[in-house]
Amino acid sequence: MNKRLNLVITALMLFGILLTACSSTTELPQETIVPDATEAAVEPANESEITPTPTTVSVGGNCTGTPVRWYIGLGAGGNPEEIEKETAFLEKFNDKYGDQYCLTMDVVQNATAYDVLKTQIASGDVPDIVGPVGVRGLWSFEGAWLDLTELMEKNNYDSSDFNPALLDFYKLGPMGQVGIPFAVYPSALWYNKDLFDEAGLAYPPHKFGDLYEGKTWDFAALRDIAIILTVDNTGKTPADDGFDPTNIVQFGYDAMWTDVRGKWTFFGAGSFNDNGKAVMPDVWREAAHWYYDGMWTDYFIPNDNYVNSDYLTQGNTFNSGHVAMAPIHTWYTCCAGNVPNWDVAAIPSYDGTITAKLHADTFGILKGTKNPDASFAVLSLMLGEFAPDLIAVYGAFPARGSLQTAALDTMKANFPNVDLDVFVQGLNYPDNPNHESGMPNFLKASDTYTAFGSNYQTAGDLDLDAEIDALIAQLQDVFDETK
Amino acid sequence: MELSPVAVNTKRIDTVKKRNRNGLTPLEHEREKWGYLFLSPWLLGFLLFTLLPILATLVFSMTDYSPVNAEATTFVGFSNFATMLTDDKMWISLWVTIRYAVLAIPVSFIFGLVLALLVNSKHLVGKDVFRTLFYMPSMIPVVAGALVWAGVMNTQTGWINVTLKTVGITGPDWLGEVEWIYPALVLIGLWGLGNLMLTLLAGMQGVPNELYEAAVIDGASGWRQFRHITLPMISPVVFYNMTLMLIGAFKYFDLAYVLKNGTGGPSDATLFYNLNLYKNAFTYNLMGYASALAWVLFLIILILTILLFVTSGRWVYYAAEVRK
Repeated sequence: MNKRLNLVITALMLFGILLTACSSTTELPQETIVPDATEAAVEPANESEITPTPTTVSVGGNCTGTPVRWYIGLGAGGNPEEIEKETAFLEKFNDKYGDQYCLTMDVVQNATAYDVLKTQIASGDVPDIVGPVGVRGLWSFEGAWLDLTELMEKNNYDSSDFNPALLDFYKLGPMGQVGIPFAVYPSALWYNKDLFDEAGLAYPPHKFGDLYEGKTWDFAALRDIAIILTVDNTGKTPADDGFDPTNIVQFGYDAMWTDVRGKWTFFGAGSFNDNGKAVMPDVWREAAHWYYDGMWTDYFIPNDNYVNSDYLTQGNTFNSGHVAMAPIHTWYTCCAGNVPNWDVAAIPSYDGTITAKLHADTFGILKGTKNPDASFAVLSLMLGEFAPDLIAVYGAFPARGSLQTAALDTMKANFPNVDLDVFVQGLNYPDNPNHESGMPNFLKASDTYTAFGSNYQTAGDLDLDAEIDALIAQLQDVFDETK
Repeated sequence: MELSPVAVNTKRIDTVKKRNRNGLTPLEHEREKWGYLFLSPWLLGFLLFTLLPILATLVFSMTDYSPVNAEATTFVGFSNFATMLTDDKMWISLWVTIRYAVLAIPVSFIFGLVLALLVNSKHLVGKDVFRTLFYMPSMIPVVAGALVWAGVMNTQTGWINVTLKTVGITGPDWLGEVEWIYPALVLIGLWGLGNLMLTLLAGMQGVPNELYEAAVIDGASGWRQFRHITLPMISPVVFYNMTLMLIGAFKYFDLAYVLKNGTGGPSDATLFYNLNLYKNAFTYNLMGYASALAWVLFLIILILTILLFVTSGRWVYYAAEVRK
């Protein structure tokens, strides 16, 4: 008996040693999420402003009502300044409704938020309300959201203040109505006025559809001025003889902090998915060539090596002050602090169509919630009575029509030298289908085109059409896995 | 006073009587209890946090378990293992891992050995300083080191290419070209060879001086001393390091993940087996399939380790071992 026990323990120890040897000796880095929607809003304005963000912050209120837990981190909300505001919001909410609902919150740093939420769901410790979260975040937890349709009907939820199209924006295929609109982030073309002045160029038009220097303001016109705005270390542009593409010190254009779908959608809305068939919209193929040539032939767009260089601040390229134009959303007001003179202009058209991609945030309720009714009641209050407070917390542009004028006035007070009306115009040209829209086998499909995007921005000698065809074939395989 | 044979037998019988059913005396039994008591934290930790999850992954490997949709889990038998046979990414990742291992293990070992010889040399001035300097990088967390190296190898602002440019050479795209990514990863790996160097150094310092003295008297050159004395005498340390390096190569993940943002690029050249496993588990939420991948990886490592042990009899020399 004793021998047997010793044998078992020895075997366990040997097994343990082998496993320890096989296990990682360092902590796994968390997946880097391509910044989208409010995710990028957590980026600090510059490196010196980086404040260590706590991984997880739990705040509980002094209240006696039905407990409702709010999970923050899939989008904005993890910055220390935001946590302070969120805490104040929570206290205000509980002061008024604490006897009915006891709202608590978990704030998780964006880099780990996806994994933490997965772990909580898997372990049965499911939060009730999650948000703010963008479309990509919703698709990343496909199958975990509660369809709110029934609760909205049961509670006669008044959705008349929302643009019906925006409400439909959160009807995500088989998942149903998984969110109620909270905030929208229209896009515009950000430009560095100093670089335009230096090059002696007129600023791009601020009114969508207007001409630029008597010509149509389209992507061909943008390319022309982007080439002029691109210079190497001897001051030559790509149009000059002797231009050195390995020593570029200023670029004309960069569609930063987005994936290939986000880059190409400015040429026209599209999708890789046509009812389960993987496709490459013609307009996207043309956009893909335009962008690829911009990086590798015309050199007015930084390739991956430039983007990740210290010179272009490793990704926040416009903020480096060395990129003249970048199409980005309203949330980027967080992150352009190093560029003293910026303004926004109209997104150029392509083939007569203007497309200003749209980001939007919502709050959802997880299927695993123990209190769906209480959660919906709290959600209704958060996005109704408390919507102005919540909008102020995130500096967002409200989805509720009745709040938009006041929100715009606040933004104008914060950025008096910026023509913010351009963003309001941008709301009229949303990409539909949205560049973050769902696909079969969403997570794997996203990973597939992200890998393509990485190669696209890294290798300058691709047979692009062949690569695109290969991507579509791969996507079809990925789509078919779900059949 | 001498005991009679009868008295001795009686005493032996008394002692046997006092043994418990496991054949232990009360004192031995008491010691055993304390032994288990001291072992219990490790045992409990191992059972709860290692063995149980391992067994769970074995169960998961036969399901389509997804952490975000656990209620939809169904038993799928061995289909996850069957899927692996037709999964291109699995084969690509295995091939990537093998290619890396074939390049990294010999290069890293030779470099570590040369470093150990260098800091063991009696002609080297300031040995302790060099030992500390060479060991220091291995104290830096892999992720922090990877981020630094990503900057160093950047084609535009990295100092390697900037230095090359000053002498008229256009440096390669270290992290962006399939041809250069493996040398780049191996180069970064060399930075953290402190442990390998240290264990080899310890092995070298354990070689008795008399052997070298005898060799010098016999007129053996430095190379012959190294070949016929140093190498055989440190072969157990070499074997130990080979085993760890082999396991390390197959569990390679951190650097590839951080440097390429987990994309596996360029062109799947950094899609290591563990990265593919991680993506299946935590990006695609295919925890069942990832568990199957993990078990296959475990089996691969186990077989390779056993092979290494089997061959060790031919090249590992243990001084205390009696060869038959």
